[in-house]
Amino acid sequence: MPITLLRVHRGAVAVLALLTFTASLLLAALPKALEKAYDRALGTVLDASTADVTDLKLEQRPGRLLTTPQEFAERDAQLRHDLPPALREVIASGGTSHYGAQTYGTPVIGRMGERNRPYQFFDLAWLPDADRRVRYVEGSPPGPTGSVMVGGTTLVRFDVAVVKEAADAMGLRVGSTLLIGVSGTMAARVTGFYEIVDPTDGFWEHNRGVSHAAVRWVGETKEYSVTGLTSADSLKHLDSNRDLRYSWVLGIGGGAVTARNAQAVVDDFGVYQAAVARQSGGGTRYVLQSGLPALLTGYLKRLSTAQTLMFLVLGGLGLVALGVIALAAQLLTERMRPALSLMRARGAGLPRIVGTGTAVAALAATPAVLFGYGLAFLVPGPVTPAVHLGPLLPAIAAVAFPAARLALSQREPLRDTRDDVVARRPSPRRIAAEVTVVGLALVGAYLLRARGLTASADGGGDPFLMAVPAALTLATALITLRCYPFPLRLAVRLAARRRRAVPFLGLAQAARARGVTALPVLILLPALAVSVFGSMVSGAIGNTQRLAAWEQVGASARVEGEADIPAATIERVRELPGVEAVVPVAKGTTQVGFGGRTATVVALDLAAYRHIVAGSPLTAPAPPAEVPAPAVPALVSPSLGALTTFEVGWPGRMQATTKGTIEGLPGLAYATDELIVLPYDAAKRAGLREFANTLLIKGEVDRDQLIKVVNTPNTLVTTFDDALREIAGTPLTSTVLRAFTIVTVALAGYALVAVVIALVIGAAERARALSYLRTLGLTQRQARRLTMLEIAPLIVLASLAGLLLGLVLPVALAPGIDLSAYAGLPVDGFPIDLGMPLLLAAGLTTVALLGAFTHAIAGRAVAGALRLGESS
Amino acid sequence: MSPSLTEPVVDAHIFCDNLVRIFKTEGVEVVALQGLDLLIDRGELVAVVGPSGSGKSTLLNVLSGLDLPTAGVARVAGMDLLSMTGKDRLHYRRSIVGFIWQQTARNLLPYLTARENVLLPARLAGRKARGERADELLELLGVAGCADRMPGEMSGGQQQRVAIAVALANRPEVILADEPTGELDSETSEEVFAALRGANRELGVTVVIVTHDPLVSEQVDRTVGIRDGRTSSETLRRTSDEGDVIAEEYAVLDRVGRLQLPRDFMGALRMERRVRLELERDHIGVWPANQEDEDE
Repeated sequence: MPITLLRVHRGAVAVLALLTFTASLLLAALPKALEKAYDRALGTVLDASTADVTDLKLEQRPGRLLTTPQEFAERDAQLRHDLPPALREVIASGGTSHYGAQTYGTPVIGRMGERNRPYQFFDLAWLPDADRRVRYVEGSPPGPTGSVMVGGTTLVRFDVAVVKEAADAMGLRVGSTLLIGVSGTMAARVTGFYEIVDPTDGFWEHNRGVSHAAVRWVGETKEYSVTGLTSADSLKHLDSNRDLRYSWVLGIGGGAVTARNAQAVVDDFGVYQAAVARQSGGGTRYVLQSGLPALLTGYLKRLSTAQTLMFLVLGGLGLVALGVIALAAQLLTERMRPALSLMRARGAGLPRIVGTGTAVAALAATPAVLFGYGLAFLVPGPVTPAVHLGPLLPAIAAVAFPAARLALSQREPLRDTRDDVVARRPSPRRIAAEVTVVGLALVGAYLLRARGLTASADGGGDPFLMAVPAALTLATALITLRCYPFPLRLAVRLAARRRRAVPFLGLAQAARARGVTALPVLILLPALAVSVFGSMVSGAIGNTQRLAAWEQVGASARVEGEADIPAATIERVRELPGVEAVVPVAKGTTQVGFGGRTATVVALDLAAYRHIVAGSPLTAPAPPAEVPAPAVPALVSPSLGALTTFEVGWPGRMQATTKGTIEGLPGLAYATDELIVLPYDAAKRAGLREFANTLLIKGEVDRDQLIKVVNTPNTLVTTFDDALREIAGTPLTSTVLRAFTIVTVALAGYALVAVVIALVIGAAERARALSYLRTLGLTQRQARRLTMLEIAPLIVLASLAGLLLGLVLPVALAPGIDLSAYAGLPVDGFPIDLGMPLLLAAGLTTVALLGAFTHAIAGRAVAGALRLGESS
Repeated sequence: MSPSLTEPVVDAHIFCDNLVRIFKTEGVEVVALQGLDLLIDRGELVAVVGPSGSGKSTLLNVLSGLDLPTAGVARVAGMDLLSMTGKDRLHYRRSIVGFIWQQTARNLLPYLTARENVLLPARLAGRKARGERADELLELLGVAGCADRMPGEMSGGQQQRVAIAVALANRPEVILADEPTGELDSETSEEVFAALRGANRELGVTVVIVTHDPLVSEQVDRTVGIRDGRTSSETLRRTSDEGDVIAEEYAVLDRVGRLQLPRDFMGALRMERRVRLELERDHIGVWPANQEDEDE
């Protein structure tokens, strides 16, 4: 029997199958794609850091010397053995992992047989893993140690190989013997020069001294330091006379740290750090160093917000998908109703009826769900439990909904109902249940505001609070369903007075609609609420990112020089295309009073600066009132507010009088800095020449042109666009924003489908009414308008409720969701920008109405409709 | 009401006493049956007639176990319809009653053949479906040739006869038919009714037909008239010694002595509000009250 029914109602079955398929695909693939995006974001974070930041490095000053490679390898094995499980998983055995011994800060005190060159440092490193990473271009690898006689003393002689670039910079050649170390002097004989095989190898990020000769300016002279590779034999003679350290680097495997194990890695790092700190192995205690926990903690903070947002939008999507599936299941049960009723009258028991109907739904849904689930595996990404659980939801909905519906509708006997009378008043029990839902949602929203969404200690959300948005949606839907007939009845009353029949009939039908109307409301409402919520969050992130970028730069562009910027350059900048205004600024530091407090001094024309930031989110205070010469008026940060007059030493010695306070200047000083703002001509008043070392520029200026014009070394050019790009480029930001877009599109699709299905379910009844009216003289056109009018009020009212909810949700959830990780600044308050939400509401409403219109214009012949009318 | 008056007549196959069915709606109550009494003996063929809205269909729904009366007594084949559990109700539908609707399309699943439709009740009851039994029934009803056809490939009369076969499939004691000839022309009606009468005679099934069709109502032994949710009249037919059918219409007297006068009788004598009754030796005379006033 189910197979027969399946075959007969293949249209409805296909709709149900298609919807369960898409829902299963979306609910399985989206979490997968999101996890992948989370991992990619983590990859970006880790890739942006060097290996010496991300890898774990255990360092120890030796007590007992380790003299053979074997001993190092044993320690390495032991340290790896002690790794907690989550860490062990992410530590790779090859890659950048290595161990060795190295000296630090060993000065060259002389050379054998040649003149010593001052300002040189030469360290020794034994790195067994370096051998295969270098290529000898001159000489040969270092051999065993020997000894030399210097001034009657026998010194240990090490053989060393040095990177080729050091040979030229430090004046070394094969055979050079350096005397290194002030106490316990040793000799280092250069046996060869090498080049690095792969300079991008992370190994060298741990051993920069081995791959490069470092140059540092000390005053007017260059100071060189380099680390030479030596042989294993040297281990015997490397001792505490040098600043010697043994190190074991445990490299992080590429892609081993994921969004899922990151928290465990951070936790285990703490455990491992505590564990190794207790061990010494004959030397000083191990020191475990890594930037990994800090990197991961920052990432996890962003991730947690992303996951909360994704939970909300995916939850909304899931809710809507389930609603549409329920609607399709309803269509199927409606179609099967005559057959099942007949079976019931012919002696089928309730379990049989429910079983048959459910079996049809299951036969339709199961392969579809499995197909969607299978197809989701083509989407690249890690498989999490959500991937398996997601498709279960549509499967359960597709089967449970018809089962419940059939059980309720075929329950016998049919007490107190008759098709031709309108529904009874809702039962007190139902009203009580609805009031409870609304009450719970409100209490939940209050708690959410009070506690925050992800505030719990373990980082996971409180399930009750996570369900609050859904509860709020349900509550709004219930209120909408209860209240929507009231405005409609008013409209019906108004329409009844007009002469035209179509508005009256349409609205009257809409006001009387029941049952079938509930689901479209439950679908349209969350669809719009989630879309609007998404756009509000995107808007808030976008706005705050812009604000953060403005605060970073302080203007459209900023030029910052170490030295003065010549007046001619300023003029040239002014003449650049797109430049509207340029404000020269002198920025420096001074000591305030005698306490040795340092403050940032900014000399600029505040009036001009106000002009520059006009139209941006930035504000600047008005210039301070003038004071009698020779004092200059100053605005100071609140911490300096107690000083009424004080002396500043920069840009010239002068007396300043406090005329007000100021908290930071965007792009020039942070709010936490101690800041003194003087008029731009302060230098002139102090009897010096006016100068500027910073330019604030207003206007759309091309960065490259600006750089070309400024063209001074040590000058930093920052534009607003650069800053914004850097902030917006934060990993995960684009993921969050793209997910919002995908979900919005999917929701619009579902809303369209929901409206069409709702109309199809009522099609027979509507056709009967229409055919009756057609025989009374209703035109095809009027019939179409009638259909539109019947569904439009519901769509519009549901959209309005959804819009309202979408606007309220961010306000309700704002304290619970920390967007600062994306925005570069704490996001306080969501912008009341109605543009995008209204556009979304209008779009979704239009899409839904379009569905209604398409259904309406699929005209039916009068005769056919009349025949339909008979069959009941 | 004295206890003796509520004593049910136990030997009736279908027994309804003071049956009430009320549909509650928003603010309004629709009383579809308001104290209906009905007695039908085993093996009878009875037609129920009445204007639309008189409660015929509600009565049939109650008798078929698809609807539950609000008050009163309804008993079919010894089963109390008001106190049946879900299981009883299922057993009742499976073994006691068969049902035929007015719409030919509603009686049969359009995507099963006639034979499969006849086999359906047995399959639903979990019994072994025997093809021979189905073929016998189809043969009996004169539609053996349609056994392998789908309902769409049959005429309306054939469909209704298959529907009767379906209703008979589980050897029910009672067949309830709601306007079985309502959608058919007179010739086909005749065939369908003949089929019902054949089932009644040959299988001894009690048949209750709700109908508007005079062709049907004039051919049964007893016609029960329903008006405003009550049984109002009964017409009995017998064949005289000369072979003529003699129909006699009776008013129904309920157990408390209430009587419903036919509307045309009341109209003819312009009886309103009250009448004068006089007990004679072998009858009761009924006079319009106003006429009496004039006489006095």
